[in-house]
Amino acid sequence: MKKELVFWFVCAALLAVLPPVMSAIGQPYYIDLVRRIMILAIAAVSLNLILGYGGLVSFGHAAYLGVGAYAVGILAFYGVTAGWLQFAVAIAASAVVAAAIGSISIRTSGIYFIMITLAFTQMLYYLGISLDVFGGDDGMRLRTRSQFPLIDLGDPVASYYVALAFMLIAVFVVFRIVNSRFGMALRASKSNEARARAVGISPYPYRLAAFVIAGAWCGLAGALYANHTNYITPGFMSWQQSGELMFMVILGGMASTAGPVLGSFALLLLEEVLKGWTEHWQVILGPLLVLSVILFRRGLAGVFYKPDA
Amino acid sequence: MTAILVFEQLLNGLQFGVMLFLMAAGLTLVFGIMNLVNLAHGSLYMVGAYAAVAAINWTGSWLAGVALGLAATLAIGMLTEVLALRALYERDHLDQVLATFGLILFFNEAVAILFGRTALYMTLPAWLQGHVEIIPGSIYPVYRAAVIALGLIVAVALWYVVARTRLGMLIRAGASNRAMIAALGVNIRLLYTIVFGFGAALAGLAGLMAGPIYAVQPGMGDSILIQVFVVIVIGGIGSVRGALVGAILVGVVDTLGRAFLKPLLGQVISAPAAEAAGPALASMLIYLLMAVVLAVRPAGLFPGK
Amino acid sequence: MLEVSDLRKSFGALRASDGISLEIREGETHAIIGPNGAGKTTFIAQLAGNLRPDSGAIRFAGEDVTRMPTHQRARRGLARSFQITSVFLDFTALRNVALAVQAHERRVGFWRDARKDPALNERARQCLRDVGLDGRFDVPAVNLSHGEHRQLEMAMALATRPRLLLLDEPMAGMGADESQRMIGLLSRLKGSHTIVLVEHDMDAVFRLADRISVLVYGRLIATDTPERIRANEEVRRAYLGEDL
Repeated sequence: MKKELVFWFVCAALLAVLPPVMSAIGQPYYIDLVRRIMILAIAAVSLNLILGYGGLVSFGHAAYLGVGAYAVGILAFYGVTAGWLQFAVAIAASAVVAAAIGSISIRTSGIYFIMITLAFTQMLYYLGISLDVFGGDDGMRLRTRSQFPLIDLGDPVASYYVALAFMLIAVFVVFRIVNSRFGMALRASKSNEARARAVGISPYPYRLAAFVIAGAWCGLAGALYANHTNYITPGFMSWQQSGELMFMVILGGMASTAGPVLGSFALLLLEEVLKGWTEHWQVILGPLLVLSVILFRRGLAGVFYKPDA
Repeated sequence: MTAILVFEQLLNGLQFGVMLFLMAAGLTLVFGIMNLVNLAHGSLYMVGAYAAVAAINWTGSWLAGVALGLAATLAIGMLTEVLALRALYERDHLDQVLATFGLILFFNEAVAILFGRTALYMTLPAWLQGHVEIIPGSIYPVYRAAVIALGLIVAVALWYVVARTRLGMLIRAGASNRAMIAALGVNIRLLYTIVFGFGAALAGLAGLMAGPIYAVQPGMGDSILIQVFVVIVIGGIGSVRGALVGAILVGVVDTLGRAFLKPLLGQVISAPAAEAAGPALASMLIYLLMAVVLAVRPAGLFPGK
Repeated sequence: MLEVSDLRKSFGALRASDGISLEIREGETHAIIGPNGAGKTTFIAQLAGNLRPDSGAIRFAGEDVTRMPTHQRARRGLARSFQITSVFLDFTALRNVALAVQAHERRVGFWRDARKDPALNERARQCLRDVGLDGRFDVPAVNLSHGEHRQLEMAMALATRPRLLLLDEPMAGMGADESQRMIGLLSRLKGSHTIVLVEHDMDAVFRLADRISVLVYGRLIATDTPERIRANEEVRRAYLGEDL
């Protein structure tokens, strides 16, 4: 436990000093880069709840990134710019969509579950493409950023710290959830489903609740992401994005609090490096990902400390 | 919206369904026998299309190009199996999904490097161009009719192999009990490679058949892959019969939906609303169908395993 | 306590359960024995809710549970142990039992740390002491020996405050020492719990059982006290001269 706290303190401190350092050496680009990574890390943290701890291989998690982003975008489109309201709608809408998709998908398992979550997300993707009023395939610009009292999300440094704060809060919340009675029952269902039923735990309600919580948090990430990119496209909900989120969770080490954050930084920084080399970076990333799956199992978090039992 | 129009769209739906079936049959067999989720199946479809286009341009002959393209796809498929997929048979589905996802990124970009990102089109030989009169008053593109015909022939051939031959018997046995057929001394490695090759060939065939109808571009396999997933979920994983029924169902529903939902809606609600809602709903139709089927039959229409 | 009426279950042409009727009295220890392939596992699975019978009924404490899912039977006090040990390998012994305790309480928390919850931990420790796993609280289940896994399963069953214990071959795979320990544990539980025991270990069966039922080819051929079962001709024939 001590080691974990030290790790997070160091992490938070490093991330906190990044903006002033980058401004001082004249490299503000990295503030944007790390902000993007932290926002997507929130999405990865939420996916870790259901994938790493819950054992639900959801290939459709990017759906909620899109729902959250479009909630903000659509409200701004119609002139509703109050940040609290936009974010509340983003979270609520994501929760509702997660409840709908989850209630059908979680009745299935294994390969069916993977395919079904993928299919439903694709459905939302096509929905996004076909809504011409919101830009269709091309997407739409965010008319105005979400307005909050005291904080200007248009200020690169302020929005950076907002993202950092939410990321740390997300990590903490998931940490509390997975060690609560609810989390224990969820993890038990993953560990040995027959045994869980035999002691009286029915996995379905726990999984559905976790699915909705994860969806809601990812919706929050989506709302932040919209403000970061200033542009919202159906691509937020693409299955490539879902796959990327899954890799962020896996690479970092599933079922650990630091895993998704480490994985996000690792994957997205790697992509950044590869993009600098060639526009065809995916032809290198692809085989790297294949190799990482075939060769490694434990992920990065296992290097720093042992995942808690 | 005449009867002739409906008939033509039905044929289009059948044509789309037949292509979905070719993909779904391979994927469901691979899953049923090797317990392998292969997202890169869509990439083999894409490779089939590109290989055919390249071969046709190189040989100057459509038939030679198609045959060569098919052979190339088969070779690439088997190579992928040996290099990457073999390591995944024993792994859990999550690992398979992630690894084959990496393969998709690779294939999409590799094809973009070799052929560029703009869409290519496959030209048809004279004998496949033009229209044919199927029923009086309705003329239908020869090529699409040929696709339907070929697809149905392959479906029958596939049924014959699976139901009547020794290989098919091994396939069906393997689908229900992998360990057993290994114990009987069957060369599992070889069986897997053959089955995978089958699947790759079918995907490649679907891809090259798609060439003249849809654009040949990087990523063309991705969207059809997900529709193939819907087919398999509806039909039941592991069942070729389910793949056929599911494919025709999905093909027809999707095509008819896209063609007629907007005008149909326009009769009930205002035109601008139908303009917006029509295409949106049409694109969601097959997923809603999947949800309905799952609500009634959680394991699909013909649960194989 | 448990009433089984004309239970039938077939797998194709195989009649795994061929009209089994049985009554388990409250507080008794009832053993079910039979040669291999008799259908004992199928019978247990139907009692526990893992398998649906084709026909017949099961009543538990007066309630019809024939179609009730496993977790609901568990919450009504029907606890079971598995023939092939099944515990939560990712968790410690304490956590395993705490989960069983938690499953039977109303309260589900989303925030408070369950690892430090005194209500769960105290009861879990007590159950672990009762089965003889004192001092093994914080050992990850994956590191426990086979016999300790069996004890852990018993602790989990006890933690759910069961009205009936369904034990599927609790002695399986145990050495002499471990078997004696398990028999000792089960003797301590006799009387205060109703126990249905499927076992091959005849030593254990004859020491523990109040009554014994014999299952052969899916049918119950005898239900009686141990001495009378020993003397029963049909039973001896079914075991083909095995030493009873």
